[in-house]
Amino acid sequence: MTHPRLLLTALAASLVLVACGGDPPPPPAPTGPTAEELAEMARQDSIRAAEAAAREAAARADSIRRAEADAAARMQAARSTLEEMVFFDYDEATLRPDAERLLRQKAEILRNSPAVRIRIEGHADERGSTEYNIALGNARAEAVRQFFTSFGLDASRFAITSYGEERPLAQGSTESAWARNRRVEFVITAGADQINPM
Amino acid sequence: MTVVSTLRTLRSSSAAVPAALALLLALPGGAAAQEDFPGVALGMVYDAVAPPGLAIQPFEGRFGGQGVASGIEAIVGRDLTYSDRFAVVDSLPASMGGEGVDYALWDRLGATYLLRGRVEGTGDGFVLVLELHDVLYTRLAHEGRFDLPRREADGFRMAVHRASDAVVEWAFGEPGMAASRIAFSMMRDDGNREIYVVDSDGENLERVTNHNDLAVSPAWSPDGRYIAYQAWPDLMGIFEVDLTTRQTRQLDPGRDGNYLTPTYHPDGQTLAFGVQGNNNRSGIFTFNVRRDCCLTSLTEGRFNDLSPVYSPDGRQLVFNSSRLGTATPQIYVMSASGGDPEVLSPYRYGAGGYYNAPDWSPYGDLVAFHGRVGRSGAYHILVARMGRNRELLKLTVEGNNEDPSWAPDGRHIVFVGERNWGKGLFVVDSGSGAIRAILRGVDVGEPDWSPALGN
Repeated sequence: MTHPRLLLTALAASLVLVACGGDPPPPPAPTGPTAEELAEMARQDSIRAAEAAAREAAARADSIRRAEADAAARMQAARSTLEEMVFFDYDEATLRPDAERLLRQKAEILRNSPAVRIRIEGHADERGSTEYNIALGNARAEAVRQFFTSFGLDASRFAITSYGEERPLAQGSTESAWARNRRVEFVITAGADQINPM
Repeated sequence: MTVVSTLRTLRSSSAAVPAALALLLALPGGAAAQEDFPGVALGMVYDAVAPPGLAIQPFEGRFGGQGVASGIEAIVGRDLTYSDRFAVVDSLPASMGGEGVDYALWDRLGATYLLRGRVEGTGDGFVLVLELHDVLYTRLAHEGRFDLPRREADGFRMAVHRASDAVVEWAFGEPGMAASRIAFSMMRDDGNREIYVVDSDGENLERVTNHNDLAVSPAWSPDGRYIAYQAWPDLMGIFEVDLTTRQTRQLDPGRDGNYLTPTYHPDGQTLAFGVQGNNNRSGIFTFNVRRDCCLTSLTEGRFNDLSPVYSPDGRQLVFNSSRLGTATPQIYVMSASGGDPEVLSPYRYGAGGYYNAPDWSPYGDLVAFHGRVGRSGAYHILVARMGRNRELLKLTVEGNNEDPSWAPDGRHIVFVGERNWGKGLFVVDSGSGAIRAILRGVDVGEPDWSPALGN
């Protein structure tokens, strides 16, 4: 911060010189730069300094913005990971290997984000009885919660529920629709703004 | 496929059962071969004898009853047809009305019974006078007067249904089921399910909940005043609607958990239901719903115990459990105070089988449920005869058939049927095997038939 102060002093000196010019008899001719030259140099210096300061501020703001955007993107990615569904086999409530891989990523994020609470919602395909499918969806949600608690996460952070076959993701009575509907969904109920990406 | 036996025979005379079953088991494969339920003895159950003919003479209107007489006759005629106990002949020409009874004429027309009706205006409603004549013995067998409210009144159709049930009682000494309603969930165009009720004949559809979300699994209280059901204010909870005030409240058993599939104890005080998750104790629980207290655990474990129903004496519970695996839920019977449950459904190790949604008949001798054999088999309505000689009967042959519930007559069963034209609410008469759809083309679920609705 010393540099701008020096410049200001030089500027003030040149202003004094300009204000005094012409009234008293001319002083002896200077041996260095004239007062006009000094004033001009000071003016150029101040412009360069102001430009440099502006560039620096812009760069700093830019890097903050970039960092913020980066953090937001990583938070959004973490949130997407937390909210990504897992799928199940027909009539099964046991976790498939692909589900376990995803749940391990979720568990890491949850470990770093203690404020986050999640509702785990189980679903079933349309086959089977309505009431039993609610139980099956609940068993799927419970399997997910048990996976999390086996990672040392506090069970009280997770509420589980089931919608059975009542809220299908995909319509239709095809194997691909059924496969989409046999799922567990994740709803962040608290701490969505306090997700700590790793 | 004519199988000669009746559930009523099975119920009233256990001595008759071995002979009937021996006959059935001797039948060649036929229908039984399509659906190989282990231990299922019968394919279809038909009455041994043709039902007696009942002729309905055109109802007469007097003193202001003229305008409603034929409408009342139509309701009674359909009720008696739907009772599946008579071969009903109605909508006869007006010329067959009038004074006096020509028994010889009705005998020639094949009638065992003749029903005559007279409707009289009373100022604030009507009186319906019914006479049941025994044509063979040429005498008036029974006569009754029934007060009806104004035609626009809420209770009008139900009052007519009660008169129809009296006719069944006169002729057979057993209650009818016309004066009853059926509660169920129905999917609306907006994608939400609400609880509805409809009269036993499929008329008078009425919505009773307003969650704008999901509401399922309704259950009638024994006095017909309340309906308990399950809804989702985020997590699953049990609600109760008072049909006299239309007030709805959520029960608070005071413990974390998902509560589902409620049912009333015959005392009307206690609800039994399944509890899942959000605590480490899942299972069948009970709660005193009139005093809001006394949550009690009957079973524990992670077995998806749900859909409990009490026996009519309140001493046993039948429910659903996946303690043999999630892919093979079975029906269990247990003491109402807990203890070791016993498998009721036809489970055989290695054979799989998927059985759900039990309901105990009002006489306590039969339990209906649905099931399928293989992983992709169709669902059918099955009836287990309780007691020492357990037998299993299959009541449906086509489509998918789920969620049976007994009528107060202990004879009819309502269920959700799925046919190639869509879903609907069906009624099967376990005495005759007759099946009719009372609501068609609607996505309905979990029907529960009310008790007889007095007043």
